[in-house]
Amino acid sequence: MHSMTPEANPGPPGFASPPKPIVEARGLAKTFSISGSEVTALEGVDLSIRRGEFISFVGPSGCGKSTFLNMVAGLLSPTGGEALVNGVAVREPSRQVGFMFQTPVLLPWRTVEQNVLMPAEVFGRKDKAVRDKARSVIEAVGLGGFVGAYPRQLSGGMQQRVALARILTYEPEVLLMDEPFGALDEFTREAMNLELMRITRAAGITVLFVTHNITEAVFMSDRVVVMTPRPGKVSGMVDIALPRPREIGLMQKQAFADLIFEVRGILGHGHG
Amino acid sequence: MAMASINATASNNVRAGGLSEQWRYRLISLVIIVVLLAAWEFAPRAGLVSAIILPPLSKVAHALLTLVQQDFFMRHFTVTLREILIGFVLGTLIGFGIGTALAIWPAVKRVSYPFVVGFQAIPKIVFAPLFIAWFGFGETSKVVMAVVIAFFPVLINTLVGLESVPEDARRLMRSIRATQLQTFYKVSLPHALPVIFAGVKAALTFAVIGAIVGEFVGASEGLGYLVDLYNHQLRIDRVFAVITILAAIGAGGYFLLEWLDAKLIFWRNEEGR
Repeated sequence: MHSMTPEANPGPPGFASPPKPIVEARGLAKTFSISGSEVTALEGVDLSIRRGEFISFVGPSGCGKSTFLNMVAGLLSPTGGEALVNGVAVREPSRQVGFMFQTPVLLPWRTVEQNVLMPAEVFGRKDKAVRDKARSVIEAVGLGGFVGAYPRQLSGGMQQRVALARILTYEPEVLLMDEPFGALDEFTREAMNLELMRITRAAGITVLFVTHNITEAVFMSDRVVVMTPRPGKVSGMVDIALPRPREIGLMQKQAFADLIFEVRGILGHGHG
Repeated sequence: MAMASINATASNNVRAGGLSEQWRYRLISLVIIVVLLAAWEFAPRAGLVSAIILPPLSKVAHALLTLVQQDFFMRHFTVTLREILIGFVLGTLIGFGIGTALAIWPAVKRVSYPFVVGFQAIPKIVFAPLFIAWFGFGETSKVVMAVVIAFFPVLINTLVGLESVPEDARRLMRSIRATQLQTFYKVSLPHALPVIFAGVKAALTFAVIGAIVGEFVGASEGLGYLVDLYNHQLRIDRVFAVITILAAIGAGGYFLLEWLDAKLIFWRNEEGR
């Protein structure tokens, strides 16, 4: 699918960082004005994300994790600091960055293939190369037999696979995911976690994954950013130095439980 | 969905050997229609109502058959049909245009929405005499009347439909840097189409009303003119005959739109496939 660049496959995290981060936040902050009073959605965040890294942002509602993601995407403008992608300050959405929402946002009048090709149409590409690419991506997310199906014929998990394929087709370097599996049942979610790791690793894509599910975050990530609300801020960072490739059995290991415990510790008592 | 079908199966099993639910309802409807038509036939014959006020069904049927064979009938028929169609098409286009403008430009909506609502508050039939004065006794005044009544449901439904596009869909289009035009015709318009179409169906019914009301107030031809004429001549059987034809025009147009709706918005019933 993608050619693997050397830096696309980071070694165990916590060791030597490459010189140039692919995503960077410098004092990135957001305040909203709600009926006259200022509400801090996110206190200044400083963060460097390596190329090919899988990084998750966990925390309860109102911790600013979605706000952070939307600012990196250029869908929301910061009120302080800046977000950089490939060293360039984000001012508007970019095709280097793909954004996946909690809902699949598929167009019900389009087949799986037509949905996946929608961004290509927007970019003005209708050639055979992009159609072949779409086919191979649909294959890669496990929907090879559903190219001509309509969204309503698919389960929730399959619909999110289509949404993922729609992004992968235009080959972004960074994938931003805002609780994409939040609406799925536990078994589907686990299957999607495994697939997502496999696909993004193979393509060398950097993933910023927002979730309120600690297990999911620890299972997939190289690093977990722990965030807390009122005001939304980064409270801690946990390196997940677990070997890859990861399988479901990992969740029963003591090392895994320890990491979950560590994340919960930062979130503070009283959280789930 | 699943629950509903389970319930349906269960109730079918209870009445094993009986008719399915759907057919039972159809049978009941049919019985009611037959009883009403029979009452229509026999009540005037038995002297329960005056045959002048309500002619028996058979007389109306006879009047209908003779009327449609008259040379003058075709002229009145085509005049009204043309008024309805032009009024409906223009009303739909105007309603869609204004509705789209209001949905796309919030400033336009803020400025003009009070006028739109205020205009709708007027019972627009009162304009009919005015339109006769302005546009004459011919077809134009009837078309204007039809347009004025028909455009509003399309306008409102276009506005509501376009404004109901999910926020995530808009954000998706922004995230891939789609232009406003691309977002409009790739996402917003198809999304709004089912709602817009409901308005279009209402517009057809309103266009019929507009054309007929226009003819009532002042016309020398058309089906509304015929209803008025026969009413004054106390030829109530012919009044009912023309009403039947108007009902047929309305129903025919409606079913045509239903068919077009199902073709155009094919994804609505996708579950069954």
